[in-house]
Amino acid sequence: MDTDASADQRELLDVSRRFMENSCPLRAVRDGVWRDGSFAASYRRQGAELGWFSMFVPESLGGGSISGNGALDAALIAYHRGRGLQPGSFVGTNVVAAALAAAGSDELRAAVLPALISGEASASWAATSSGGGGRVENGVHATSRADGSFELHGKKAAVQDIDPSTWLLVTCGTADGPMQSLVPADAAGVSVTPLASLDLTRRFAEVAFDGVHVPATAVVGEPGTCGALIERQRAIACTLIAAEMVGAMDQDFETTVQYAKDRIAFGRPIGSFQGLKHQLADTSLALEMSKAIAVAAARTVGTDGDEHGPQAASMAKAFVSEAGIDLVQTCFQVYGGIGYTWEHDQHLFLRRITMDAGLFGDGAWHREHLCQLAGL
Amino acid sequence: MTDTQMDVDQFRAEARAWITSNLERRPAGADAEARGVRTDEEIVAARALQRRLFDAGFAGITYPAEYGGRGLTAAHERAFREESADFVMPDFGAVGGVTVGPIGRSLLEHGSPEFLQWHIPRILSGETIWCQFYSEPEAGSDLAGIRTRATRDGDQWLLNGSKIWSTGAFHANWAMCLARTDWDAPKHRGLTWFAVPTNAPGLTIRPITQINGTAEFCEEFLDEVVVTDADIIGEVNHGWSVTQTMLVYERGAGESGVSLMEPRELAPDLVELARRGGRTDDPAIRQAIARAHVADYAQFHLGARIAARLRSASTPDPAVAAYSKLARGVYTPLRARAAIEIGGSDALTWPEGDDAGQRPAIDYLNGRIVSIAAGSNEMQRNGIGERVLGLPREPSFDSSIPFNEVLRKSRGWNGRVG
Repeated sequence: MDTDASADQRELLDVSRRFMENSCPLRAVRDGVWRDGSFAASYRRQGAELGWFSMFVPESLGGGSISGNGALDAALIAYHRGRGLQPGSFVGTNVVAAALAAAGSDELRAAVLPALISGEASASWAATSSGGGGRVENGVHATSRADGSFELHGKKAAVQDIDPSTWLLVTCGTADGPMQSLVPADAAGVSVTPLASLDLTRRFAEVAFDGVHVPATAVVGEPGTCGALIERQRAIACTLIAAEMVGAMDQDFETTVQYAKDRIAFGRPIGSFQGLKHQLADTSLALEMSKAIAVAAARTVGTDGDEHGPQAASMAKAFVSEAGIDLVQTCFQVYGGIGYTWEHDQHLFLRRITMDAGLFGDGAWHREHLCQLAGL
Repeated sequence: MTDTQMDVDQFRAEARAWITSNLERRPAGADAEARGVRTDEEIVAARALQRRLFDAGFAGITYPAEYGGRGLTAAHERAFREESADFVMPDFGAVGGVTVGPIGRSLLEHGSPEFLQWHIPRILSGETIWCQFYSEPEAGSDLAGIRTRATRDGDQWLLNGSKIWSTGAFHANWAMCLARTDWDAPKHRGLTWFAVPTNAPGLTIRPITQINGTAEFCEEFLDEVVVTDADIIGEVNHGWSVTQTMLVYERGAGESGVSLMEPRELAPDLVELARRGGRTDDPAIRQAIARAHVADYAQFHLGARIAARLRSASTPDPAVAAYSKLARGVYTPLRARAAIEIGGSDALTWPEGDDAGQRPAIDYLNGRIVSIAAGSNEMQRNGIGERVLGLPREPSFDSSIPFNEVLRKSRGWNGRVG
């Protein structure tokens, strides 16, 4: 995806790519082996050994990245994850690790960060609420108690890949503005209801919070003062999802182009007809622009102190979300009837990419967000 | 200078020192010129200023030193452009970009050393301006189908035919002209490029009035125009390989993209239009502004990506450059249309003589230049589809038979192959 990747970055990527191909090829994804808890834990630990969850954590806290730009390194991994429609909470664990490194209490960091970095535990950002969109504080409300702790009430939707060892970063509303806290998925008052989803390669759940107690040490962003932190988390989430989408798009497009060369109709390969050729060329352009914008976002988000990160990430998410859906729809059309069969992999890409397009804000949401970030 | 390549920072410092003590600052608020065409007086001034840059060693920064350039890299050129951004620079209008872009680059790759020694220093010093005699009334996107004829006449050549869509030809001293030298060869194999002086007897240049009321382009009539072997660029009948080079630069694959700077600020022109009409609260307008901005940003980064791909390839592939061209061809008309929608009546009407006020309307009228010129969007799609993605070609009716026969057979075309 990144034409300027260094030799070190390429080497890390190669190892990660081989790990994904060997441990969880598309066939295994389709068969749902990742739904098995012990597989998921082993997959996560092996990914962690390859540095998958340390990239947004500074070295002083036990993290680190190959190139020094953690967002870019993570986006390159994400791209390959997307190509293979890889399961697991890669985006969520990295977002939560970044948030803890930036704003967690010492106690919380000591308790959780090593487990996330080593893959012993995963994390998920409970951001989405019914109706979706990017308003991450919606759905759950916190009330403060006299001792400085909080109580959570409400529901989050489409929270990804929760198992009992998962840490949930819950963004919620308070009377003083948004706040965040880190809650174990098996905490008292938390109930997780698995949902069916369009995407068949990951698990999503509704999470209800019924008077969940949050000690002051579990707060990751105080009420009313964590706007910038939330922007940063959203930027990381959108950058990594955009990169995963681009990987999935690239893979789906490659196989579709091959099909257009192989499939014969009216005595010619169908890809020789301008009616298809031009659609594929337009799609290829949108894909190249998606790669370019996703890399630009990763570079920008990963540059410390760069205030342009949220804009770059929103632009990438806005562009790639629409280009992604356009792409899977075009590929579907090129495949024709075979693409409508369960056996064919096309629908796995269609499902995953469409799901990603809606997570953490769709194109329209991010365009509006860009206007707001610009003060319009 | 080429042997021990100067460090970019050192060059930047040298450039800054010269620029600040030799060039005038641009008046505040002076925006990029919307008109592509310059007056005769502006061209005279541009030539004089170009001469000063040339004498100081700041013309043709990436051109070879033996031909009067500086022999440095694109990074040096970028540094110079950044340092000179706030200063008055030589401004020839669109024809200036054509001269040092597609034409200059193609000459460097295909001209003989004697040819280059004579022509390139004159280009870099502002003495000569070049224009393109490529398209014809009956061949545009199908450039290999041109019909201007070059006929051997003793030790010289006679050019006959007509050309069209040459940017700023009325300011040019020379033209790079594509002509057919072998009518019995297939279309791509009988073409030759010539350098033609625009004051040659038998050459008539006429401006074309465009839909925006200006005349940036010209049409030409060549009636027994005499050129010599010394004017040939590349080899006789092998002109198509020169064309391949030319098209890479023509499609904007070099450093000259839509924008030199990463577009970080939310589409300022569109926000201004929305503000003027009091429509910044309208969700549809906000979506349109942000959509255009995201597309600008994606296009900018696509340009950088494509430029990197072309730099790393041993031979630049025009089909890769087609991505940048297609992006501009698709997004430019969309953006122009968005401005009309965002501005509403303010974009459709404006006070007489208000240059800024007419900008959205002019952009709208000009929006399809880039989707048609230098190979239409459809040509770029074919190029990407066939040369990058490797999709099978459409059946071809004209590429393997003598060009003479193509014209004859096309009149009775019935869609049957063979």
